Amino acid sequence: MSAATFDHLKALIVEDNVHMRTLLRSLLTALGIKHVYEASNGADAFVVLRDKSPDLILTDLSMKPVDGIVFTREVRLSHDNPNPYVPIIMITGHTERHKVEAARDAGVTEFLAKPITAQGLFLRIAEIVERPRPFVRCDEYFGPDRRRRKDETFTGPWRRHEDFESDVELK
Amino acid sequence: MTGKKPTSPHKRARATKIPPGAYPVFSRKTASHLLHALRDPEITATAARVIASKVEDMRVAVLGYVDRIEEAARAADVVTIFEQAHEIRGLAGNAGLTATGRIANGLCKYLDVIERAGHQPDQELVALHLEAIARAAHAEDEATRLGDTVANELTVLVDKKLTEINDSARRKPGRDAPARGA
Repeated sequence: MSAATFDHLKALIVEDNVHMRTLLRSLLTALGIKHVYEASNGADAFVVLRDKSPDLILTDLSMKPVDGIVFTREVRLSHDNPNPYVPIIMITGHTERHKVEAARDAGVTEFLAKPITAQGLFLRIAEIVERPRPFVRCDEYFGPDRRRRKDETFTGPWRRHEDFESDVELK
Repeated sequence: MTGKKPTSPHKRARATKIPPGAYPVFSRKTASHLLHALRDPEITATAARVIASKVEDMRVAVLGYVDRIEEAARAADVVTIFEQAHEIRGLAGNAGLTATGRIANGLCKYLDVIERAGHQPDQELVALHLEAIARAAHAEDEATRLGDTVANELTVLVDKKLTEINDSARRKPGRDAPARGA
C-alpha cells in the first residue's frame, strides 16, 4: 500500500449535505490529503478560503444562502481572495443545461456528476494536476479557458444532445 | 467601396490568456507524487471501499428525504418537493438506489422548467413521481425489478410535458425567431 501523504496540500469541500461532505472528506483522506476543510455553503466557504487558501476546492452547486455558482464567481473575481486561480471541481446532481452552463461561465475548472465514484473524482483531480488550463481574462469572464482541448480533427459523434436529451431550450 | 474592412456588428471582446506557470500551479514534485497516488490501484480500491461502506448510511438518508418529500406533498409545498427531490437525486446513486435517483432527477427537471416557464405543475405527474420515489426507495431490488421500468415510463411522460411547454413558449409572440444556429 502506498503511504503517500500530502502534508502541505489543503482542500476545501463546500457541500450542504452532511452525508456527501463526509464521503468526499473520506475520499480525499484516502488519497493522502491531510488538511481538508469543510463549509456548508458558499458564504461560509469564502471565509475558509481567505483564511486557509486551499489548493483545491470541491463544491456542490445548489446551496443556501450562497450557491456554488455565486461562490465560484466570487473566488475568481474577488480582490479579497488569495488565489483566484485555485482549481474548482463542481460536484453536482444537476443535469439541467442552463445550470451547468452558468457554472462553467462562473469559472468552474472541472465537473463531476453524482453519484460519486473514486475513479471519477481522481480522474478530475489528475486532469487538473497534469493538464492545468490557461486562464482567460476579458470583460465578461475570468476563469479557466472554456474552449479547452479542442480537437480540430474531431468530426463527431457529438454527445451534447444525448447528455441533455430531455432538457429544453427555455431561457 | 473604400477598401476599408467592414466592421463586425458584434464587438469582439479583448481577452488575455494567462498560461499555467504564469499563475500558481502544483509544483513539479507535488504534481508527480499526487499523480502517482491518483493512479495507484490500491488507493483507488481503498477509496472505492470507503464509498461502499457509506451505502447503508446513504440509504437511510435517502429514506429520510423520502419522508420529508411526502410531508411536503401533503402541504402542497412545491419548493420543498423540489429541494427534497434534489437531495434524493444527489444521494441515491451512492445509496445503490439508481432508479430512485433517476425518478427524482426527472421530477427535478420537470419542476425546474415549470418554475422558469411560470406554469403550475401538473399535480398528477408530480404525484406519480412521488409515489414512484417512495416505492422504489423502499424496494430491495429497485433497480432491477420495479424501479427501472417505472423510471423509463416517467421519463417519457416528463419529456412529453417538457416538449408541450417548450412548444407553447415558442408559439408566444416575440418568441418566433428561429432558434440559434437554425
